[in-house]
Amino acid sequence: SIQHVYGAQHPPFDPLLHGTLTKPGSKPPTTPVKLKKVSTFQEFESNTSDAWDLGDDDDELLAIAAENLNTEVVMETAHKVIQNHSKLQEQHKFQEEHPQEEKQVESAELTSIACGDNRLVKSVSEGHASYFIDNSNESSSMQRSQSLPQTSIPPLLSGMADYNTLVTPALTEREASRLDKFKQLLAGPHTDLVLFWKAKRNTLFISLLVFFPQGYLPANVDRRESTLQRKRQEYFAFVEQYYDSRNDEHHQDTYRQIHIDIPRMSPEVLRLQPKVTEIFERILFIWAIRHPASGYVQGINDLVTPFFVVFICEYIEEEEVENVDVSNLPEEVLQNIEADSYWCMSKLLDGIQDNYTFAQPGIQKKVKMLEELVSRIDEQVHRHLDQHEVKYLQFAFRWMNNLLMREVPLRCTIRLWDTYQSEPEGFSHFHLYVCAAFLVRWRKEILEEKDFQELLIFLQNLPTVHWGNEEISVLLAEAYRLKFAFADAPNHYKK
Amino acid sequence: MAQEAMPGTSLAGFRPTYIYKVVLLGSTSVGKTSLAYRYMKNDFKELLPTVGCSFFTQTLNLDVATVKLEIWDTAGQEKYQSVCHLYYRGAHAALLIYDITHKETLNRAKLWLRELEKEFLPDEIIIALVGNKMDLTTEREVTTEEGEQFARTKGLLFMETSAKSSHQVNDIFMAVARELLQREQEKALSQCEQSTVDLGESRTSTRCC
Repeated sequence: SIQHVYGAQHPPFDPLLHGTLTKPGSKPPTTPVKLKKVSTFQEFESNTSDAWDLGDDDDELLAIAAENLNTEVVMETAHKVIQNHSKLQEQHKFQEEHPQEEKQVESAELTSIACGDNRLVKSVSEGHASYFIDNSNESSSMQRSQSLPQTSIPPLLSGMADYNTLVTPALTEREASRLDKFKQLLAGPHTDLVLFWKAKRNTLFISLLVFFPQGYLPANVDRRESTLQRKRQEYFAFVEQYYDSRNDEHHQDTYRQIHIDIPRMSPEVLRLQPKVTEIFERILFIWAIRHPASGYVQGINDLVTPFFVVFICEYIEEEEVENVDVSNLPEEVLQNIEADSYWCMSKLLDGIQDNYTFAQPGIQKKVKMLEELVSRIDEQVHRHLDQHEVKYLQFAFRWMNNLLMREVPLRCTIRLWDTYQSEPEGFSHFHLYVCAAFLVRWRKEILEEKDFQELLIFLQNLPTVHWGNEEISVLLAEAYRLKFAFADAPNHYKK
Repeated sequence: MAQEAMPGTSLAGFRPTYIYKVVLLGSTSVGKTSLAYRYMKNDFKELLPTVGCSFFTQTLNLDVATVKLEIWDTAGQEKYQSVCHLYYRGAHAALLIYDITHKETLNRAKLWLRELEKEFLPDEIIIALVGNKMDLTTEREVTTEEGEQFARTKGLLFMETSAKSSHQVNDIFMAVARELLQREQEKALSQCEQSTVDLGESRTSTRCC
């Protein structure tokens, strides 16, 4: 299979290594992390492109460090990156204070998206675009891997400079190749599948590419539009066929439950819009009727929201995803969104249906696996929970049942799922590593709590309300590290 | 009956502290979480359907003892019942909550009672039947008498509440706490007759979920 290569040679975030790099005069280690098998590592690497989102600076440095360059060069680069970062921060501040100028930046939208936010480009062009563009991929990734240590810094810097100062340096080969892919992506007949999501401070790309890993749409461009239309028609045929039966004797309990739950959904802004609640009711009812093995289980209603919001954001100018308003959207657009949300949710649930069948075996199994995993990666935390008689099921049930949706803000869920989509068995398997990373993320706080009650209250109300992309990126990077370390090591991780 | 006394307390000198596990059981959207929320925060709002269970604690300073209630708020949907089972194990008290505007929810509360009777001996657990949504009396489907009658025949505590208007919410939890304490004292007395009271009983023996 085709594997893209991104500029990191090593798993991210080795705190020891990170520490030594920032100390002046210390030698960069040559092999920061022991690699077991090349093939495994390549697999790992190919799956981790966006785990580096946050750690750009670090991993570029690590790449150089591994090439045994001398300390001066490393430090010089480090300073450059740090300078650049603070410039970026100032720029952001400046833009926040001067919104008009931000618009100028936006006017060069494509450029700023493609070059400006390196994180975003990386995740798009390398994480997902490979689904779109098959032939160009191999050669360009080869080039990249060969030229990696020498060229990895300049594109990063030029990209940032471009965004920040509106100077336009010549694009490097790598950058150009990204941009090319991106343009192709946008020029294709399916720009409607590509979303731009404008957050307050950066333009974030949300891959709608959702569809591809999940096999909803064919990779062949010509067939995509027709498939999309066919799927939408199919959905509305279901609605026609089944929706009237919602008041029938044997379906009315299902419908009643959905009808009760929708007005209780989050975020509040969605449940206050009657059009939205109607759409959610239809989606959930149709799904429940067509999946009698599980039927409708509370919690499934949450799973529509991220898709729906992402699709809506394509059509509206709203800075906060939590505040979408559908009132001005044409009926046809809403219908398409409804059908697309249905299929996305449906595909998602296909992979985790045993979470919702009788006695929820999928969840019980995963909570058990989480416990085993944590006992291996952080025995201290595991023992601490055990000593205070906190059971994993008491807090992690919801993590599995709602895929962390109840634990982090919606914007973070979307970011998280974006990665799950591009990961094989993302929702069913990779999620486990994310949960483990998520738990261990709070190790300090957990170890400070010395009482069952306090511990459980903390674990059920984790302070993530201010979380954004950065926190999720760190979490994902850590999850990838765990997956790399444990997934292929059955002796370390018994199922 | 399972009791818990914090180390360093004794009936003679200090007021003892007891920790009790109280589970809230009942159909979906009868107001389990709302009751807990009103009790904890003295507030009312639309709440997300509970998944798995939510955990709250409340400390009551009563005349004779300090009582810490561990409140386990469970998911109401029937499909979660097999999981709920894991949460109500080891409970000292259960609130069986129904919605006075939906008769069906009382029947469900009766089924819950049957479940509990399978799991616990009568003197192991205190059970209260709670008819919630008193603020909606115009839509009432279950009369006060009907609830009361059923509670009496089964030896349950009974109250009608409204999480929305705050009617009798504190009262029901307080009644449960007092009942728990009373049984504690009765038990201590009967134990005294046999031997000395073991106050150092560890959590391990009583917490099984």
